[in-house]
Amino acid sequence: MYYISAASTISHQPAFRNAGFSGVIEPLHAGSALINPDYKEYIEPGLLRRMSKILRMSVACSGDCLKQGGIEQPDAIVVGTGLGCLLDTEKFLNNALTVKGLLPPTSFIQSTHNTMAGQISLSLGNHGYNMTHTQNSISFENALLDAMLLIDEGEKHILVGAADEHIALLDEISAQLNIQSDCGLTSGASFFILSAEKSDQTLAGIKDAEALGLVKNIPEQITAFLDRNNVNPDDLDLILYAGSVAGTEDGEKDFQSLLKMKNLPVLDYMKYSGIYPTASAFALHMAADQMQHTRSIKNILICNSLIQHNLGLILVQSVEA
Amino acid sequence: MDDLKEELKRQLIEQLNLEEITPADIDDNTLLFSDKGLGLDSIDALELIVLLEKYHGIQVTKPEEGKEVFRSVNSMAEYIRKRQN
Repeated sequence: MYYISAASTISHQPAFRNAGFSGVIEPLHAGSALINPDYKEYIEPGLLRRMSKILRMSVACSGDCLKQGGIEQPDAIVVGTGLGCLLDTEKFLNNALTVKGLLPPTSFIQSTHNTMAGQISLSLGNHGYNMTHTQNSISFENALLDAMLLIDEGEKHILVGAADEHIALLDEISAQLNIQSDCGLTSGASFFILSAEKSDQTLAGIKDAEALGLVKNIPEQITAFLDRNNVNPDDLDLILYAGSVAGTEDGEKDFQSLLKMKNLPVLDYMKYSGIYPTASAFALHMAADQMQHTRSIKNILICNSLIQHNLGLILVQSVEA
Repeated sequence: MDDLKEELKRQLIEQLNLEEITPADIDDNTLLFSDKGLGLDSIDALELIVLLEKYHGIQVTKPEEGKEVFRSVNSMAEYIRKRQN
């Protein structure tokens, strides 16, 4: 078991520095905005002035996590991102097309996917393992697996998280691809301290995680994952899912029929987070928060099949006091 | 009032995204790369090279000049005038 010692999220929900937020969240509606903290409290002005949205969110969430966990330096920093620093990428490419002569360097330097992990490390003066995973919709699950492997190798506290940012161009592209959804494309960041040992601060445990590409049969993979962890479907208290398990539009019925449990609570977490490639990190915070505040919840499965051929699975378990 | 220096201050603020700083906050002799001044860093130095080319058509061809040229708004203005004459 791997233990979540701290969690921090910036999203459309009032999650930041708000334990118990999962009890008050509501599905996103048109015009719903990201709830940003006062970044000046978490980031030095000299660094803040050149940071894009994704960098501000990541550095603030990381700082908040470390503060909550009472940890000055994590043993490693591991970040997942599906699309990386889009604002700086767009800015740099626009400069390249329009500016004659020398190109301003800042947006180029900050356009790479590993800028978040790098900025977090710079803000902490951390010289430990620093890694960024980018595998589209299962980037967070891959980052989480990396953090779990580091703990298996003897590390104590890993800062692991995920972030993605929205730019207007994504709306244009999704309209051209005829992607329609009730909840819009957006930004979000969630970070965690994953620890080797349980403590008084532990919010929940992660029993197992899996990230699979080129998946042909999602139901088979889910069943095998549960079997491998000796969890019966009727042990599950909640499934948080994104995308479609059986190619239909009714995820709830799909899961209930797959696991042969009519009354199993099933929730589409993207209705609460909005759509971004690493929203399963939001689901993990939501799961940990629910376990912390509803003691009867013991097992939550996070099933991320936002993109049909990718599958991310995380089994979250409560930790007895 | 020296128009070039006032223009430079506005350009510095825009190019370096100096939030919450106005031209009035920057003295002509404020040290740009000192913590006692604006506290700029190496990425800002690259941005200043771009600024000189973008707004004033000047290419800094001798890197060793940079330290003195980018000392303050005064030294930048002096360098621009020297190069333009």
